[in-house]
Amino acid sequence: MSDVVLQSIVKRYETMLAVDNVSLNIRQGELVALLGPSGCGKTTILRMIAGFVPVSEGRITVGGRDLTRLPPAKRNMGFGFQNYALFPHMSVGENVAFGLEMRKLPKADIARKVKLALERVRLGHLAERLPKQLSGGQQQRVALARALVIEPDVLLLDEPLSNLDAQLRNDMKLEIREIQHSLGITTIFVTHDQDEALSVADRVVVMRAGRIEQQGTPDEVFAHPRSHFVAEFMGVTNLLQGRSEGAERFRLATGEVVAVPAASPAVGDFAIAVRPESVSLNAGDPLARNALFAQVDLATYRGLVIDYRLKTASGLIVIARRPSPAVGGPAPLAAGERVQMSWRPEAGVLVPL
Amino acid sequence: MGPIAVNRIYAALSALVLAFVVLPLVAIVWVSFFANKILSFPPTGYTLSWYARAWAQDAFRDGFITSVQTALCAVVISLALGVPASLALVRYRFPGRDAIQTLLLAPMIVPGIVGGAALFMAFIELEVLFDVEIAGTLPGLLVAHGLIALPWTVRLVTASLAGTNRSFEEAAASLGAGPLTVFFRVTLPLIKPALVAAALFSFVISFIDLEKSIFLVGPGRTTLQIALVSYLEWNLDSTVAAVAAVQILIIGALLLVSDRYARLARAF
Amino acid sequence: MVEQEYRELNEAAMTSSTATMPLPAPRAREVRRRSPAFGLAAPATLFVVLALLGPLALMFRYSLNRFVPGQMMVEALTLANYQKFFADSFYQDVLFTTLWVSGVSTILCLLAGFPVAYFLVRQASAKWKGRLLLLIILPLLMGNAVRTAAWMVILGDKGMFNAAIGTLGLAPMKLMYTPLAVIIGLVSVMLPFMIVTLQSVLEGIDENLESAAASLGAGHLTILKRVVLPLALPGLLAGTMLCFILSMNAYATPVLIGGPSFHMMAPTVYQQVAKAMNWPFGAALAFVLMAVTLVLTTAANMLVQRHYRRWSE
Repeated sequence: MSDVVLQSIVKRYETMLAVDNVSLNIRQGELVALLGPSGCGKTTILRMIAGFVPVSEGRITVGGRDLTRLPPAKRNMGFGFQNYALFPHMSVGENVAFGLEMRKLPKADIARKVKLALERVRLGHLAERLPKQLSGGQQQRVALARALVIEPDVLLLDEPLSNLDAQLRNDMKLEIREIQHSLGITTIFVTHDQDEALSVADRVVVMRAGRIEQQGTPDEVFAHPRSHFVAEFMGVTNLLQGRSEGAERFRLATGEVVAVPAASPAVGDFAIAVRPESVSLNAGDPLARNALFAQVDLATYRGLVIDYRLKTASGLIVIARRPSPAVGGPAPLAAGERVQMSWRPEAGVLVPL
Repeated sequence: MGPIAVNRIYAALSALVLAFVVLPLVAIVWVSFFANKILSFPPTGYTLSWYARAWAQDAFRDGFITSVQTALCAVVISLALGVPASLALVRYRFPGRDAIQTLLLAPMIVPGIVGGAALFMAFIELEVLFDVEIAGTLPGLLVAHGLIALPWTVRLVTASLAGTNRSFEEAAASLGAGPLTVFFRVTLPLIKPALVAAALFSFVISFIDLEKSIFLVGPGRTTLQIALVSYLEWNLDSTVAAVAAVQILIIGALLLVSDRYARLARAF
Repeated sequence: MVEQEYRELNEAAMTSSTATMPLPAPRAREVRRRSPAFGLAAPATLFVVLALLGPLALMFRYSLNRFVPGQMMVEALTLANYQKFFADSFYQDVLFTTLWVSGVSTILCLLAGFPVAYFLVRQASAKWKGRLLLLIILPLLMGNAVRTAAWMVILGDKGMFNAAIGTLGLAPMKLMYTPLAVIIGLVSVMLPFMIVTLQSVLEGIDENLESAAASLGAGHLTILKRVVLPLALPGLLAGTMLCFILSMNAYATPVLIGGPSFHMMAPTVYQQVAKAMNWPFGAALAFVLMAVTLVLTTAANMLVQRHYRRWSE
């Protein structure tokens, strides 16, 4: 079993607290994404698990074994570096063989395992090449093969997709997921890209300023952000401040009263998070709940969609997103046009300020 | 062996090596304060009288003055020749550019004794040809010292020029500045730190030179380094330590100032 | 008003040009610019040609002349001076001493310099790295005369070292005028060069490579052997060659610390040219010294390049 358990991990540098009391349980075979902006401590956590960075306080165990003070060489973890860190003076095959040589395996075993590992990432034919003769995507796959060939207890990936272009990134996402599922290896991967985290991970851990802000399945985190920060990070552009008055009533800071879901917390200051996709324009029913009149302030054409910045007479600003005519959407609206915007009360999530 | 043990080993070895590098300087400064008539350890007491005695020695005083004169001139020569050359090397492409760069750095590579001997022979040859005195004179010394300072100036200034964004100069030119205006209003201020460092460094390199000067000094015109070596061949006492301590103080100050303008480590 | 617009236009142009990749300067302009370049580089070039290349050529010509005592130099075209060097076992011993002392000093520099460079690059904080580097370079620039005097103070028969071991009850050691003392002196001159060279090369090695090797199971010595040293090879070579050249040509250290009966090449050149006034032979010695140094360093360079080229290009 390789459950990874972080108990109250703290990392202190001279002048700052990089990781502030983080506890996390990761089950055997789970794929967890640590998600957050740069400097939130996610990479530090990954490097502490690998043993590259000493832990200031707390314990790290894998399958019950305490690794906190073990050097990286004794932890049996596979690490994928953001820049791949392939040894430039060794061929692809030698790179993959390195970890096996360190484990003093017989030559024949090493050759066989290297061959298998490279075939798994479809690079069997490039074993003699040097890393710099490979494309970025190929280098990433070599790095993955090198990390996996040692049959690690845990696979740690630091921004594995950030150096690839958009198309490759999609392929690589699928590939990482496939390999992870077929091997059933516990995997922790660090990213700043919410889309990456949501599409690859079983569980997303959102971090902010050295702490865990929220964790859950991709759907939980995406649909039910529990804080202003998570909502914003998940791409919610409308965070409308105001006060919850109970009985599903919410008074916006600009004065309008709108409806919120029944399960919302009672009285207090909150913001309603409404995705721009949830805002309808001129839906036709003048009596729809949460219907407000506004003027198109700015229209931004984005290919598949058009974003409209809408402004009410009271000064409330809401972004609405509609399919563009290119994909069969309605005719675009011009700046200055008056519209009625509305959203279903269930589309709003109350988050603390 | 854990990473922490590894770190400690490196730290300990580094401390040892550092002590080895710094020890001689500390030792000689310490000795310059000894009260003992004849140098021995441990000291019987401390005194400042060696400093007065050192200044009273003609060889050291005159040597110091000659060295300062020579070094100041070496600064002027190396900047006057080195800065335009650096500009040409970094900002223009022309045939023979690599060869010229190698040539300008060559005085650093040719051993001091070999270069000094060659210059000495050439001077004597010229003296015979034109019936003038060069080898034991200040101008003769200046040629040698300009030569050893030049490559360091070229190195520091080309590094600085290569590191400044050319678009500043292009912006100035596009705003209507002529080449000279661009140089004096834009380029020069940008590389000023490197110029200061090059000047100070040239001074130091010239001041401490021994190998080239040894052929070119004459009676009554000796640099401080030559005076020190000739003194050391026969005596070792606190007088020479006092001279050394003063030199350490002066050069240390110059280098610390110079390091503020351009990292010295990059000159090597 | 017009001025205002003009300035805005220009600002827009400037920001856009700095935001994009630096543009390669147009070819035609460079050709036109050739003349100022020559003008700028000419004085320095001329100076080096006249003060270095010319004299070296002259000295080479002199090395082919004949030395007649009392007459100094007689015009000739002979290899007699070089033959004399290879016929006289005294001078071969001088060369041999120079070679082994330089070799030992260089190896010691490498062994002592690497840990310091590694410490500076991987472990010292940025603030301390700057300070320590300065502390390493400053002694170098204090001059050979001062540093050598200091070593005389330390290594002398009644010097600091012997006084220190005396307080421990140990008998004084004979250090001055021994090859050991010369090696100590040379190492202290060359160490800063080695450290700075190694430091800049280690700086260029991605620390993640070492982390990667560690997480794959390599201990520190294995990481050094399999990852760091192969990648640092060009820097090791550069530092080694620099130190070797420096010690081959050392003057003050062997003269003052080695004593009158310890002979290395550079002092011998000086002795022949300035004291014995035997210019042809002194010149020949100088060129033998340069040639030996050049051949050895080139050979080392080629040897290392062969291993390095495969992945460096």
